[in-house]
Parts: sequence; structure tokens; C-alpha cells
Amino acid sequence: MLKRAKKSDKIILTVIIFWCVRKMNIKKLQKRLDEKFPGIKVREEDGCRFVTGELDDWDKIVKACSMCVSKDKNVHVVNDIVFTGKADAPMRVPAQTDNTLDGKRPDVLVIGGGISGATILRELSRWNVDALLVEKEADLAMHASGRNDGEIHPGVDLAKGSLKQHYVLLGNQMFPALSDALDVPFDRCGQYACFTQNALKGFVTLYALKRKYIDGCKETYIISGKKLRKKEPNLNKEFKFALYNPTAGCICPYGLTIACAENAVQNGAEVSLNTAVLGMTVENGKITSVQTNKGTLYPHIVINAAGVFSEEIAKMAKDRFYSIHPRRGTNSILDKKAGKLLGSIASVKQLELHTHTKGGGLLHTAHGNILAGPDAVETNEKENFATTPTSINTVFTKQKVTAPDLTERDIITYFTGVRAPDFEEDFVIEKGRKTKNLIHCAAIQSPGLTTAPAVARDVARMAIDILQAEKLVLRNEKFTPVRKAPPRLAEMPVSQRNRMIKENPDYGEIVCRCEEISKGEIIDTLNAPICVPTVDGIKKRVRPGMGRCQGGFCSPLVAQIIAEHQGIPLEEVTKSGDKAFLLFGKTKGGEEL
Amino acid sequence: MIKADVTIIGGGPAGLAAAIEADKNGAKVLLIEREARLGGILKQCIHDGFGLVRFGERLTGPEYAERFMQEFNERNIEAKTLTFVTQIDRTGEGYTLTLVSRDGMHKVLTKTIILATGCRERTAKQVFIHGTRPAGVFTAGTAQNFVNLCGVMPTQKCVILGSGDIGLIMARRLTLEGAKVLGVYELQPTPSGLTRNIHQCLHDYNIPLYLSHTVTRVFGHDRLTAVEVAQVDENKKPIDSTRQIIECDSLILSVGLIPENELAETLDIKIDPNTKGPVCDQNLQTMLKGVYSCGNALHVNDLVDFVSESGETAGRNAAAWTPKKRLFASLFPGDGVAYVVPQKMDLTDENQKAIVYFRSKKVFTKSSLQVIVNGVSVYEKKYNHLRPPEMERIEIDFAGFDLKAGDTVTLKIKEGEA
Repeated sequence: MLKRAKKSDKIILTVIIFWCVRKMNIKKLQKRLDEKFPGIKVREEDGCRFVTGELDDWDKIVKACSMCVSKDKNVHVVNDIVFTGKADAPMRVPAQTDNTLDGKRPDVLVIGGGISGATILRELSRWNVDALLVEKEADLAMHASGRNDGEIHPGVDLAKGSLKQHYVLLGNQMFPALSDALDVPFDRCGQYACFTQNALKGFVTLYALKRKYIDGCKETYIISGKKLRKKEPNLNKEFKFALYNPTAGCICPYGLTIACAENAVQNGAEVSLNTAVLGMTVENGKITSVQTNKGTLYPHIVINAAGVFSEEIAKMAKDRFYSIHPRRGTNSILDKKAGKLLGSIASVKQLELHTHTKGGGLLHTAHGNILAGPDAVETNEKENFATTPTSINTVFTKQKVTAPDLTERDIITYFTGVRAPDFEEDFVIEKGRKTKNLIHCAAIQSPGLTTAPAVARDVARMAIDILQAEKLVLRNEKFTPVRKAPPRLAEMPVSQRNRMIKENPDYGEIVCRCEEISKGEIIDTLNAPICVPTVDGIKKRVRPGMGRCQGGFCSPLVAQIIAEHQGIPLEEVTKSGDKAFLLFGKTKGGEEL
Repeated sequence: MIKADVTIIGGGPAGLAAAIEADKNGAKVLLIEREARLGGILKQCIHDGFGLVRFGERLTGPEYAERFMQEFNERNIEAKTLTFVTQIDRTGEGYTLTLVSRDGMHKVLTKTIILATGCRERTAKQVFIHGTRPAGVFTAGTAQNFVNLCGVMPTQKCVILGSGDIGLIMARRLTLEGAKVLGVYELQPTPSGLTRNIHQCLHDYNIPLYLSHTVTRVFGHDRLTAVEVAQVDENKKPIDSTRQIIECDSLILSVGLIPENELAETLDIKIDPNTKGPVCDQNLQTMLKGVYSCGNALHVNDLVDFVSESGETAGRNAAAWTPKKRLFASLFPGDGVAYVVPQKMDLTDENQKAIVYFRSKKVFTKSSLQVIVNGVSVYEKKYNHLRPPEMERIEIDFAGFDLKAGDTVTLKIKEGEA
């Protein structure tokens, strides 16, 4: 069996991964570059391949740099090509500046409040260290972690040898326990990669065998079209067979990020939102200070979990040895009425050679909606989250093959996220190469949500090892892995719900009719370890505004609850932070009332 | 366990009228309202023009609601405010409702239910507006809530998409409050709101109306900074050469209303795809026995007077409800007709007079409405004008038409005969 699988491995390598790393010395590479991208130069230096020159087309830059990827995993492509097209806007920074963090000396400073930063902070809080996470946005999970499909990947699409693959298998197994501890619903609903051509069955079977016996993705099975339809009756009748991955699942990605950070804060870690890293001082291969809009910090160790900005952070830390090329993706959310379309994750599979994404699909989310997406578009704009009709059309055209009943009419919202891959299309998880007190957790793209808990364990361990070389670091005896989410009254049995309301009548006052959220649940989130008193902050935590009216009815009520709780006038409540103000003061006659 | 003959869900104009009428007809009535006060959306409709048909007066929304609330209170009808229905279960011949309120969970055992849950606004994503997701995109109703109920301004300079009535009303309201309304953009070649509102809310305030235009994109990361507008061709596709960016701080949407029928759906009540409300008979009983529908939950009305009227029809009939098997003839919209309410005639009922509401699909001048029973025209009414934004009401006595179960009645518009 093993022998056969190895043979199949060869077939797969030759057939699919033809763009894959190939042995080529720099001279040959340069020759190829000269043919395709005249003026673009590559040189190998310090274990990096620096690509230089000038191009006006971002896609060409991506292609040129991708061509330069080395077979040696430790050698990264660094993109120094000057882009002469429309430049990306500068990094968005918070409006507020103060000195609240000035002079702080945390043992570990985590930069970035996405799933990577939040899981790392939680792992660090298992130790008696001062850990501080800074996030430039007004909330956690505002970039890629709040803008992805929430799939917990089975790892079936990855071959042995990459960090992605190593961590996806480890991470996937951690989710049931993590979900229980952090009170974030996780549904191991399984995934179907569906095929319309019977001719591919032999090939896919070999692929599955290789994954199973060589790559270690133990649970993956070929099932017949008949069996597929028995499990998911609304999928395309033309599907002849499918690759079934029972370990795949769904979780709310921002819910998990928030839960991890809250749990870390419960255990003594600190989170500072609206805090942007603006510069660093590096002396003798060590970061000595970090400048933010809230003052200068003097951390012992810095962890770079800055997502699309991780290359910028690396540069500030004088340790830039990889480059990020942002990749946009758009997801659509369908009304819960359409939730019965499928109960798992499914997608039609075509043989796509030039893609680094899982190709998108249809997911039954942890909240019971259907999510369709994402697509993948290279972009130089790190923070352009604008949606376009093209993205939606691309996704729907493809996914209507998966489930013919899928319709744009059921869409209640759509959003765009920007992934942060490097040109090697693998993670960068290592200590600084030149800067000693730095750890990179960078180039995290899909399946970064799945891998996060496993990656975080290793990253935190690296940090603790560095600290332990200097001083004694003990375990946090008071650490509790358990975090309670605000109660979900609507999901409780009547008697329990009644009891809860008797204790706190605010639980009996429904504010959001679509998702059946009470005033009490909203107030709970404002009293949580990390309070984000914005309309979007509340929406992410307990979902008012996530339903079909999209906040039409409840947003004024939510704003009023925030104002009352925070003791501020209504017109000071924002949608998503300082600059995203909702209102322009009172009406003409408003003051006398 | 609370017991009632008629339980009304929703305390807006439809629910209030239904409650009063059911009470008048001797039923034990319970009204359930989600919000703290009765009156529904009328609370925030402080402009006038309500009650012209019914009272011959120009009342404001709160004044109109007050007339019903007064009678409601005088009759000592039981109302539960700040109360939300989480579930409806069938129990024997009736229904059990599960309620949640500040004093806990309660059950109501009721013989009949009247769904008077009103409607909700379509959102930006439902009309496929793209771009960023900044603060400053409001539905007209949300903007109206902020201005009229909260006393705060959601905008200083805005573009309004859609010429639905609330959008037009808000164009005027915001202008009066000192905001600049740069224009109202309407996808259709004709306005969606009532003609009187086009005059009184736009023309009188020099607010431009751009027909066959739409908003295609929103700009701004935090607060909205601009929108892109474009003219559309006959297929409603934006014409690239007409794209134009308009700087503003808000986009206000008045792009349609959808009856709220989430509770009806949990009961698997048949919904008419044309009205998006339940299929009903002449007594406004849905296809589920003992469950009635009225007001904007039944179909979106443009005048509150008719909302009250349908509430009364539902209230009166729910009070008189007895379990029996109904036999139906069906009403269908034919040529030129967008929808017809009711969609069924219950032939076992003594009352064969129906108040029929309908809307035309497009603008007709000098035309006539025909009612066709099994291929034969039995009724005709001439109209000088028929416009989609203006709902029409006719009374038809079906008694003489010898309808049999399974028969079809078609309403169609015949052009050019007056």
C-alpha cells in the first residue's frame, strides 16, 4: 500500500504542482526573469532572495516574486520591486494619542489582535509573565480573523513538509477542547469536496490514500454520489463522488479570537486596543523600545503577529527576511432561512492549478447561516475591504454548481478580508534572524484559524525559553482555561430562561428581534474582560444586527444601551471606533428635551 | 397560563384596530407588543397626512395612533408591552404562545392569533450596494428613529437612494433639521412614493429627484465620505459613462419594505410570493385555521387608513372564529396586476363580500380593471390613473358569481378604455 501511494505521490507532483519549487540556480532564475520581466533582478543574500526593479502592474510583481521562490525552505523572497502603480494608502492608525502605556516594560509584547495574537496571549497567560497585546483597531479580529469563513480545515489539501501542514493536523484536533473551555460553539460538521467527473475517481482515490498514509491526514474517505446526496440532499445531482473529510468543522472566527483574548485577560494578561506600533529602536540586535500612539514601551520580547503588516513590523525590528503579498477574498452570508441548504461544508472541485486557496465553498456556519466564498484576488492594498460585484458573481457562479438552489436573493450581507501570505505560501514561525528578542508569527493565511492554537503553543514556548534564559519564569498557578461567554438566553430551556430573567429582568427585554438578543446579554458584553463599547463590538459578541434586518431596528437601541452603560451622550457612540461616528449631535430642538 | 380568544401580535395601527374590533365583538383579547409603547412605527412618523380617508383630517402619526390607543384603553383591553413572542405551538384547536418579558417567561393559550407584525426595510446589501462598510449607511426608518425619537442627527449631508415614501418624508425632515439632502436617486423610471409626497417633500424644498439612477458604491473606511451614483439603462444596469462620485456623509435607503412574517414561517403558513405576506381569505384568515394576518404584515400598504381597515376585518372575524372546513376559490393577479389581497374566497362563509386590495405593475392611464371568473368578466371598474405606488381598493360581492371550490378569479388591467 505504501509503495503504491508513493507512486501516486509522484504522479500528483508532476501533474498538479508543476509551478512548484524547482531547483534552479540564481543565474538560471535571472535568465528566466529577464525573459518574462525585463529589468527585474534577483540576488541571494543573507539567506534571502531580494527581488528588485520597477513594475507598474501588481500582478506582475506577484508573479515575478513567486518565480523566485527557493526550494530551500529557509530562503525567503523579499520583494523590493518598486510598484509604480496606484500606491496603497498608509496604514490606518487610531485617532487618539495618549501616554497610558508610556514607560511600560512588559516581558512580552504581542503585536496584533487577530487569532494568532490572541491565542499566543492566552498561551503566555499560563505563565507568570507580564504579557501585553497591542491592536491598532478598536476591537480584536478586525482584519483577516474577522473576515474569514470560519472553517476548521482537515488538512487534506496539504502535503507533508510545510509548517501549514504540520500545524493544521495538530490544530484541528485541539478545537473540541478549546471550544468547550472558551464557550465558543464549534461544529465538526465535515466537508465534502465534490466531483462531477467519474474519470477523476482513480486519481482522487490515490490522492486520498497518499494523504491518509503518507501525509497523516488520517480521516479522509471517498464516498459515492448516492451517499453524498443522502447526507446533503441539496447538492448538485451531477456529483459522481466526493472526498469526505469528517474532521472539518466550523467555528466563529472572531468569536474565538475575542474568547481567547478575554481568557488571557482573565488570567492576568493585558490587551490594549486602539494602539498602533509606529516605530522601534533596535540596538545591538535587540529591540530596546517600541513607539506607539500611547507612549513608548520597553518590552523584553516582541512577538510579531501583525498579519498583513507583519513585514512592516519586521522591517521596524531590522529583521525583514520575508515579504507579504496581500490577497483579497469576499464572503457572502445568507439568511438563516437558507440555512437548510446544507449542514456541512461542500464545494465543487475542479482541477485548478494556479491557486493557493482552498477554492472556497459553501459552509453552514456555527450560527446557522450559509456562507458562500471566498474568492482570491492579489492586491497591493492591505486595508481595502471594499466589496465588488465581480467577487460575489465569481463565488456564486462557482458555488451554484455545488448547490443549484443557491441564490443571491438570500444574501443578507457580504464582506471582504485580506489574507497575508508570503511568496513561499507557508507560515513564518521562528525567532528573529538578526534581532534576538523578536519572534515572527507571520505570513499566516488559510488555514491560519485552524493552526492558531497549535502555533500559539510553540510561539509562547519560544518566548518563555528566551525569558527563562534570563530569569526564572514560573507557571501561572491561578491559570484557568475556562472562559464563559455571555449566556444565550434564546438557546435555554424555558424554565432556565425564566429563572435567569427573574434574577436579571434585562434578560427578558428583547432588543434584537432577528437574533432574539436581550438587553441583558448586551450589557454582559459591556461588562466582559475586554469591553468594546461600539455598535459593531456588540454585534460581533452577541449578534444584534447580524440578522436579516442588519440592525435597522436594533441599532438605535443598541446605541442607547451603550450610551447609558458608558455614561456618555448618545451622539458619542460610534459604529466601530473613534472615527466611525454614527451621529452629528442633537437635532434643533433636541437640547430642551 | 394566560387564556385568550384572540391574541394579537403587534401593537401598531393594524394590531390596535384588530384588538378594538375583536373586543367589540365580544372576544377576550390579548395584545402583545415588543416595544415599550403601543403605536408601532407611527410613533416616529411625526409628519402629517395620516387619517385623510378614515377621519377626513390630516393627523400626524402619533395623533392617529392616539385615537386608537384611547379607545383601546377605554375598553380596558389587556396589553403586554416589552413582550416578545418566541414560539408558537399548536395545542388542540388553538395555539400556545411562549412570551418573554422583563417578568419572565409566560405561556398564553389562545383560540386564534392575529399577526400584525408590520414590515421591515430592505437593506443596502439586499440592493447590492458595494464598496466599504462605514458608519453612515442608514435605512430611512432608522434615520427617522434617530431624528424623531432620539433627537439626534445621523447626517449633515446625504444622498437618498429610493423614492419610497419614508425616504421622501426623511428628505424633508432632514432638510428641516438643517441637513443638506443632495438628491433622491430612484432606480425605476417612475417614483416609488406617493405623488403628494414627491411634491410636498421634494419639490417644495428644491430637492432633486433623479429617476433611472442608482447608487453603485460606498466610500469611506470609518465614516462614509462619498457615494458613486450612475444612471441605469432599461435593464437597470449602471451606465459606466454616467458614473459620478458625490461627496457626502451618509447614504439613506428607502428601497422597499418587506412584510415581517418570521412567526408565520415558523408555523409553515403559506406565503404569497407577490405580497410576501400570508395567503388569506376574505376574512383575512391565513391558510392555517385560526391564524389571521393584517396591516403591513399582510402586504405593504401606503396609507395607514387601510392598515386599520384590514386590522378591523381580521379582528372582527377572529372574534367570530369557529373551527370548520373551508372551501376556496382562488384570486390571481392577471395582466398588469402586481398582486391581489385576499388570494382566496372562502365559499363556506356567509359573507361573500370582499374588500380587494391590488396594485398595478406599471403606470396605466385610462384603463379598466376587470374581474374574470372562470374566463368570464363579471366586474369592471374604470381608472384614469393606476400607479404601482398607489394601492387600490375595491369591494366586490362574489355572492352572485356562483363560485365553486377550485374556481379561479383573475384580476387584470385592460389598457386604453375609459
